[in-house]
Amino acid sequence: MQKIKGFLLIGIVILFLFSNLTVISATELTAEEIIKKRDDNEYFDSVKIEAEMIIVSGGRKIIKTMVALSDKKNSFVEFTNPHDRGTKFLKREDNLWMFFPDAEEIIKISGHMLNQGMMGSDFSYQDIMESDKLTDLYNFKIIGEEEIEGRLCYVLEGVAREGVKVSYYRRVTWIDKERFIGLKEELYAQSGKLLKETKTNEIQEIEGRWIPVDSVMENKLRKNTYTGFKITLIEFNPEIPEGTFSLQNLR
Amino acid sequence: MFSLKLGLKNLTRQKRRNILIIFVIAFAFFGYLVMDSLMNGMEEMSFDNIKNYDTGNIQVVNPEYWEDREDLPLENLIYLNQDIVESIKKIEGVLGVSPELRFKANLNNGIDETAVIGLGISFDQYNEVFTTQNYIVEGSMFAPGELKAVIGVSLAELMDLKVDDYITLLVRTKDDTFNTIDVEIAGLVRAPNPMINNGIVFVPLDVAQQALNIGNGVSLLALKTVSGEEERISKSLTDNFKNKDLNLKPYSWKESASSVIALSAAKKGGIGTVLLVVLLIGMLGIINNVILSALERTEEIGMMKALGMREWEIVFVFMIEATGIGILGGLAGCLLGYIGVSWLVKYGFSIGYISGGDASGYGIPILDRIYGIWNYPAFTFLFILGIIIAVLSSILPSYWAAKKDPVKAIYHR
Repeated sequence: MQKIKGFLLIGIVILFLFSNLTVISATELTAEEIIKKRDDNEYFDSVKIEAEMIIVSGGRKIIKTMVALSDKKNSFVEFTNPHDRGTKFLKREDNLWMFFPDAEEIIKISGHMLNQGMMGSDFSYQDIMESDKLTDLYNFKIIGEEEIEGRLCYVLEGVAREGVKVSYYRRVTWIDKERFIGLKEELYAQSGKLLKETKTNEIQEIEGRWIPVDSVMENKLRKNTYTGFKITLIEFNPEIPEGTFSLQNLR
Repeated sequence: MFSLKLGLKNLTRQKRRNILIIFVIAFAFFGYLVMDSLMNGMEEMSFDNIKNYDTGNIQVVNPEYWEDREDLPLENLIYLNQDIVESIKKIEGVLGVSPELRFKANLNNGIDETAVIGLGISFDQYNEVFTTQNYIVEGSMFAPGELKAVIGVSLAELMDLKVDDYITLLVRTKDDTFNTIDVEIAGLVRAPNPMINNGIVFVPLDVAQQALNIGNGVSLLALKTVSGEEERISKSLTDNFKNKDLNLKPYSWKESASSVIALSAAKKGGIGTVLLVVLLIGMLGIINNVILSALERTEEIGMMKALGMREWEIVFVFMIEATGIGILGGLAGCLLGYIGVSWLVKYGFSIGYISGGDASGYGIPILDRIYGIWNYPAFTFLFILGIIIAVLSSILPSYWAAKKDPVKAIYHR
């Protein structure tokens, strides 16, 4: 099964995904197994999400609402707040398109555009395009244990494997020892500079799964800016109408 | 002789009307000459700004890179060795070789971020080819290995930066991994080519190469050559690369200036239209003048015909008058044009009303002022063409006047 990153469609927040309730004997797990356990929790056939994206930049706060549908390979997001109503994104495997109703044109997002923030947020388009398994991309090792908000976490460090193409050279992840869900992650440039940090503020148990419903991403290169992501409704295995993931549906 | 004298005398008979027409023609000529000077000046300045601040006279590039150059790829680079640079420098007419690494980056000032073009340069070699260093208005350039950058004043204003501030350039390495270049701003540049000022960040070549994981790779080699020798040098370069089995090709600056060259072609069309309007104004003025004169002198024409003057002589009288107006209008126009072009050549035409004096948004790499240039053939061409048009446009109405029946003409009331 293809991993679907993130509860914001196309995997905006791959870091706070799904966990099951199975309690694992922690002491026996290697770093790879912990990541794999977290990755396994992220698999699902399809999902429908209604969410809010809160973009805070220099004292300005913008709230965007959206509905996202995802299956194993594809995702479709439509913004529903008045200012962005009708703006749509479609991710099909490794391709991403967007439609702005004002321009009435479908634009393929590629090249340098992928580095830009999605809808002015701190999530770059590239962030939402990454869909390979992390264990294929990084060599992970456990570098310690820390408590976050009263939850004991593994602290894992992943360094990019030689020869693979990854956006972030190094990532440090805090994974809940009991629920196997990411509570915090730091993403670093090759120079060692911290670029982004994600944190989970709230987790809820929905249909037997622990879901991070409120999380925040900070671009650490910029002051006074962050993007929050709140799930207001989540539905697993919804009925997805035929043609949802088609370019025609973008218009 | 009589017709000639009469024609010249007639020039002074309707002074006010003739002076008015002479002025109309003169102003039309003035408009054309000034426009021509300005357009040619704009073209020359654009080409100079491209050569002196962006491309050099010739760029040596891998042909596959050239295809994708707009995307600033980190593929198909030139991996430098002393032999390449030295063998290029040995070619007669090559005055300097500057290796450049061009890359995409996001400039971050800690609060905002904007997309820029990073330009890794080796300062000494860069100075052999480009004159950008002469336009550093604050601070200085950097030395190799220094974690310093030079940016344009427009970019500095946009990002609220000044000399000694620190910036972070967020880049992607050859393997597509994020990397950062943290540099201190060493200097601010305000070059005549606004594209340099708006979105380019100069950093030391070795610093850029290291951050992008590309070893000693560069995007291109920019060459300064003796002006006008580009074709010969390109041929020598091609032979040189072929002998050394190098997959490199020389590209003239003209191939990087296609948008300006397209504008230049459009300019020629624009100038042609202005010329047409100018000639039309002259023609209508002359035709109008001849018709009015003929109407006023109907009795006189009738009398001259009755006294035995032939039709062609009457036509000649009117043509002399029209030619005189053409010559005087042309001379006055050329004089006004001389004054206007002199002013444009010396003081230029301010484009401050266009995006704060930056015409780059219109594809024209010019800042602040466009200076005119002298185009003497245009003066001669316009003067002669003006006389020819005056003569030609007077023939028909003169013939119409000369054909009048002498009896009816004398008694036309």
